[in-house]
Amino acid sequence: MGGAGDSSESKVSNEQGQGQGEEGSVVINIRCSNGTKFTVRTSLESTVGVFKSVLAQNCDVPADQQRLIYKGRILKDDQTLHSYGMQADHTIHVVRGFAPASSTPAPAATATATAAAGGNPDTTTGVTRGVGSNEGGAFGLGGAGLGASLFSGLGSLGGGASDLEQVQQQLTQNPNMMREIMNTPAMQSLMNNPELIRSLMMSNPQMREIMDRNPELAHVLNDPSILRQTLEAARNPELMREMMRHTDRAMSNIESTPEGFNMLRRMYENVQEPFLNATTMGGNAGNDSGSNPFAALLGNQGGNQVRDASNNPSTTGSEATGGLAAPNTNPLPNPWNNAAGGTQTNSTTRPNPAGNVRASGLGGLGLGGPGLPGMESLFNGMPDSNQMNQLLQNPAVSQMMQTVLSNPEYMNQMLNFNPQLRSMVDTNPQLREMMQNPELLRQLTSPETMQQMLALQQSLLPQLRQQSTQEAAQPGAPTGTPNNTGLEMLMNMFGDLGAGSLSAPNQPNVPPEELYATQLSQLQEMGFFDTQENIRALRATAGNVHAAVERLLGNLGQ
Amino acid sequence: MTLGSGGSSVVVPRNFRLLEELERGEKGIGDGTVSYGMDDGDDIYMRSWTGTVIGPHNTVHEGRIYQLKLFCDKDYPEKPPSVRFHSRINITCVNHETGVVEPKKFALLANWQREYTMEDILTQLKKEMATPHNRKLVQPPEGTYF
Repeated sequence: MGGAGDSSESKVSNEQGQGQGEEGSVVINIRCSNGTKFTVRTSLESTVGVFKSVLAQNCDVPADQQRLIYKGRILKDDQTLHSYGMQADHTIHVVRGFAPASSTPAPAATATATAAAGGNPDTTTGVTRGVGSNEGGAFGLGGAGLGASLFSGLGSLGGGASDLEQVQQQLTQNPNMMREIMNTPAMQSLMNNPELIRSLMMSNPQMREIMDRNPELAHVLNDPSILRQTLEAARNPELMREMMRHTDRAMSNIESTPEGFNMLRRMYENVQEPFLNATTMGGNAGNDSGSNPFAALLGNQGGNQVRDASNNPSTTGSEATGGLAAPNTNPLPNPWNNAAGGTQTNSTTRPNPAGNVRASGLGGLGLGGPGLPGMESLFNGMPDSNQMNQLLQNPAVSQMMQTVLSNPEYMNQMLNFNPQLRSMVDTNPQLREMMQNPELLRQLTSPETMQQMLALQQSLLPQLRQQSTQEAAQPGAPTGTPNNTGLEMLMNMFGDLGAGSLSAPNQPNVPPEELYATQLSQLQEMGFFDTQENIRALRATAGNVHAAVERLLGNLGQ
Repeated sequence: MTLGSGGSSVVVPRNFRLLEELERGEKGIGDGTVSYGMDDGDDIYMRSWTGTVIGPHNTVHEGRIYQLKLFCDKDYPEKPPSVRFHSRINITCVNHETGVVEPKKFALLANWQREYTMEDILTQLKKEMATPHNRKLVQPPEGTYF
């Protein structure tokens, strides 16, 4: 291979594409990260973005997830291949990456749709294809809702008191704030972990059942890239709106095809009803969906689909009676209206948690709404304090909390968002001071304190739950003595804090090496090289490095 | 493989050696899990290079693309190039402040031989990421740079 002749040849070819007269197209070798290779014929004048879409036809990585590497550099979409000095027979590496975070809304939206369509295993007929893209859209929003509710779990740590929806409402109406939060490193690390979101979903038995029954759906939900995309979308309000618009378009187009309406109906029956059942069942079984912690969370997903369906019957209904077969040119039921008014819908139906789920379906963007009770009840519904403890000691979790807590600005904002909390704070300046003292907050959130709080909370739990149900039923109306409310607020706050961070690696089956990765490396740096011993010590001390060191040293001394 | 195969009798001059590496990088010859190329095609000394390592599977690095800067001074390949991570990474042989791969902690650079190539460095770094003490370390967020 590496003879001298070759070398001199490459010297010639290295001279930045001078001998490139051969009518445009050249052959480029592609190597995927999974080891497959193929060649593509392309023009060197085409941009990387265009080239990616060519590649997408040849490999299973959608264009917006491709990351191309050539000569050790990551290629940017708007550059031409030629500008990177690309030559015939050169090799480009393709790596599956995450969908670009700051992508321009429109292309990314279409890309998502195509990605979903491509991800659907049986994309044979035009109709199914349409459904594929519809799924993409709907889940896109669902995922967004998920993101929103994840975030709302966080948000509630400041405004953790009862009037959660209000906080959320304000947040959803403030896309900038939302984006800001979504862009925090903590949130990002959450988002980069689709595994987690999936595990959240999978831990809902009803959800699992649906997925078992609908392989296509399971496929969509199981595809980490789609989940990731949807979470990305949540960060970008424009993108989200665009996606919703696409969904509506797609739906109306499907309707105008002969079998389209039936198709949609089937889809509704197969997917949406079980979804709704799964969510509302949980909501009915326990107040405030207490017994089914994920119900509200997932309700967003179901709800989204309802949105489509509820738009459709209105149009299809008239079509059916009128016998219209022509493509529907009427303006669609205004999707933006929903998006903007979603939270309002939410608040009017607030008294009924189950209704809330439905309402959020109508509300497109308002999905975050029920997410919070979900989070809250997630905590309530988690009797296993060990699990919670583990969680609280997880370095990732504490890191996340610290990022949030160490920013007084942030806390402030959150405090201000919740009128009830604010009034509490206003009447009690000391409390405000307390809330804004990062040092104190850190102390409060130290694993030990959290544990104590947890124990306390558990003893208060029955009472607490009662109260929160009450409050859910009539938000704004203060219940109990002020004192009590305050206490409850604090409790809730910490509950939510914990629950919010549950989104971090709450996998009980996380290997201890992973769980205690930072502590382990710390121990290693301190000179404790026996990993097994370290893990044992960390386990025994629930991840407390200092205690672990003492333990290790104690062992040595014996 | 063939690189430096004639090394026992014939010493490949620096330029030929680098041209050979350039070609391998551009054409993706080799195991194909790393990629590298010259920063500035006009630099006749071919000193400044960019490399990427794709994070190995079943590690925290999976799916990440790490960019590195390699600098081959005039005494390359007698002396190892200086290697620096551009993308932030947390592994033991990389300086946490600067991203420099510390020769003391990275055997390939410490025991450099002129047959070694930049590709060897990159693949070795990739293996390093998969070692038990590196594969599970908490990593800085992707897309951050030293």
